[in-house]
Amino acid sequence: MALGIPVPIGSIERELGRLWKESGESKSRASLINLAIYSEKPDALETNSLIIQSIAGEHAMRALLIQADPTAVGNSAEAWINMHCYLRGPHGGEVCSEQISFLLAGQSARTLQSVVFSHLDSDLPLILWWQADFYPPLDEKIWRGVDRLLFDSSHWSHPREQFQVISGIAESRTILCDLNWARSLPIRQALAGIFDIPGTLPELQSITTLQLDHAHGHRTTALLLLGWLADRLGWRLIMASEQPQFQDAGGSLITVTLQEAGETCINRILLISRNASFELRRESGSDLYVTTVRGKEIPTASRMVRAPREATREVLLTELARGGRHPLFLPSVRAVEALWE
Amino acid sequence: MSSPTVNPLREGIVNRLAPEPCTLVIFGATGDLTHRKLIPALYNLAAEGALPPSITIIGFARREKTTGEFRAEMEASVRKFSRTPVDEALWKNFASALIYHRSPFDDLSGYESLARAMEAADQTRGTGGNRLYYLAVAPDQFPVILSRLRESGLSQAPKGSWARVIVEKPFGTDLRTAQELNRLVGEVFAEKDTFRIDHFLGKETAQNIMVLRFANSIFESLWNSKHISNVQITAAEPLGIEGRAGYYDNSGAMRDMVQNHLLQLLTLTAMEPPTSLSADAIRDEKVKVLRSLRPLRGDDVFRHVVRAQYTAGLIAGEPVTGYRDAEGVARNSHTESYVALQVNIDNWRWAGVPFFIRTAKRMPKGGTEIAITFKSVPRVLFNKSGQGLDENVLVIRIQPDEGVSLRMSSKMPGSRLRIEPVKMDFHYGTSFGKATPEAYERLLLDAMSGDATLFARCDEVEEAWTFVDGIEDAWKTRSDDLAFYTAGSWGPVEADELAARHGVTWRRM
Repeated sequence: MALGIPVPIGSIERELGRLWKESGESKSRASLINLAIYSEKPDALETNSLIIQSIAGEHAMRALLIQADPTAVGNSAEAWINMHCYLRGPHGGEVCSEQISFLLAGQSARTLQSVVFSHLDSDLPLILWWQADFYPPLDEKIWRGVDRLLFDSSHWSHPREQFQVISGIAESRTILCDLNWARSLPIRQALAGIFDIPGTLPELQSITTLQLDHAHGHRTTALLLLGWLADRLGWRLIMASEQPQFQDAGGSLITVTLQEAGETCINRILLISRNASFELRRESGSDLYVTTVRGKEIPTASRMVRAPREATREVLLTELARGGRHPLFLPSVRAVEALWE
Repeated sequence: MSSPTVNPLREGIVNRLAPEPCTLVIFGATGDLTHRKLIPALYNLAAEGALPPSITIIGFARREKTTGEFRAEMEASVRKFSRTPVDEALWKNFASALIYHRSPFDDLSGYESLARAMEAADQTRGTGGNRLYYLAVAPDQFPVILSRLRESGLSQAPKGSWARVIVEKPFGTDLRTAQELNRLVGEVFAEKDTFRIDHFLGKETAQNIMVLRFANSIFESLWNSKHISNVQITAAEPLGIEGRAGYYDNSGAMRDMVQNHLLQLLTLTAMEPPTSLSADAIRDEKVKVLRSLRPLRGDDVFRHVVRAQYTAGLIAGEPVTGYRDAEGVARNSHTESYVALQVNIDNWRWAGVPFFIRTAKRMPKGGTEIAITFKSVPRVLFNKSGQGLDENVLVIRIQPDEGVSLRMSSKMPGSRLRIEPVKMDFHYGTSFGKATPEAYERLLLDAMSGDATLFARCDEVEEAWTFVDGIEDAWKTRSDDLAFYTAGSWGPVEADELAARHGVTWRRM
């Protein structure tokens, strides 16, 4: 079973020690972060254990998986310990990350601080991936020790409400990390790359039309991209509708179309300016973004760059590899505030 | 409204200078470096979207070849040497930027036609008039290529654009030739546009030396003669000269490794904190270290430097021939395949701290590392006898198995007081599973961005040669100092004696 050996919560550290002792000298423990994942979904422990298994080879960590049911009648707390090991290094030794899994119900699910966070690897950053909705008011005690708070706004049914709830955390030392924002990073990189082509930069000031094609369930990704463009280019939302309208710094209108099409989260972005058009496209099943520039006085240019897979593992790896704050995230959210549902 | 000069969509995406669109001309496009390193590095950068979108890469070489043939050869090389697998569509897209330009290096008309090819690329691909010339050729070709670049006007960028040159090592063979080369390059390109590549500086661990020293408060306060007893910098390799006798027998370990790579590592280890992270601020501090090196001249050389040659022996259980038996090496060659130096840095921070530098071929195993040995604790408490405790040693492993380790003393469990050394070990490969990019990827991007931090400045090169020339000059006066060591051993006994005179033993790697 992916969760490993069942252990009493009171003797997790002792049992981990025993596990290491039994595993022999060829294995070494590595840990750069504490990654805690909180979920209220029924199969979360198994699902998240597979994710940890798939990323531990690149990010050595202590993983703390929590599956909670705070509404359950009664009170229970179970735990398992496990290791994910990979062959590494010139001598082929195994490097292992530890995983502790918790299944919590009732009152136990509301005492994360004592039950779970007492098992952190001390002095290493705590990254908490919150897979449930945020309920106001947020428990200060939980967030105070969190270095990075991960969540995925593409899973939210009420993004407007959720963004409002977490906006208070943004004031603290905790860094907000939306995996949906990380998901859009390769797209933003590819789009930014188009405007490195000489002669294209001035065209950013005369955009008239933006079309964003996104897969079903990825409207929030498209909105984040739209917010990013609006924030970066100084557009102001003047009409929040199915076909929103923005006004640029010079007072000209920009018409935006967001539509469901294709299978990858963002299939196509088309920007039309006074003198040129700029397209980013990802064909279904393709691992590449193709960007194309066509214009009156700009040489037609087409370029391909590797597009990462959009599986949770890849998005999580992108986020973990970034580090630092995400200064453009909240401004991008706010630039399209009226469009969030 | 004025036009933007900075791409607003770039902000917050990468925290480095963006490489600018350009035409990259590789002189020596059919050579080994282009096949093994440059084109695979460029392909990987393109695949990650890190290259400027409209880059054009022109391979300049003497051999008769079509662009189609050049692309096919480069594809084979990328398939063989790239750190990531080749994607067909990506390769096709990347290959469309590759052009072959055949010309002898001394033929001015070849440069005139190159100019036309680059202007065409400016028009059709939007390279913006920016030029980056990579001299991936033997040093004897540098003068003619630089002269022709100047005569054809190619070293002068059109207004609003730039022309830069990347020069591969060796940067001369002594101070005089280095100065001549610098003068030659300086007549054609400004210093800010000259990028002398030392691939050691592109390695992650070399870059981490500064981070380790200046981003961790626990080290810098101890990083001086009050607390450090000695420093050892070692670059060992099990390989012999591998068919490079023509070059190596004229160069030797001192010129091949010490003058560039190892003195660069020494400067990063010993430099003062720079005032900023700008290229010149960092290089200013590195140059100060080189200027503070106590010169070794005359008899001093034979007291502070050991040179040696390997004789036949065993490497990994396999017999190997001695240096003088290698093909192309003179039977009476005095070229050193091993060199060990004890140097002093005469400044306030390092007064009295011996630095040991050692590099060799045909060692039992390969590796490059910097070992900083701290002074022993006072002879009280656990060290009353002065013999019982090992010193703390901080080791920065540059390659392979990159990482940092710290040796310290610890009580062994038990009722008796027994103190033993233990090692805290950080391995890049263990903690960061992700493959690190090749040094050439980073350095090519930096050159396209105009960031010269990881490149050697002309005064750095000349100061390093000034130091090395003193040793080479002394060596020319004698030959009886050449020592010998068996291939597969850790070097000659004379080197052990050199270290022992300072109460030091060479580290066992």
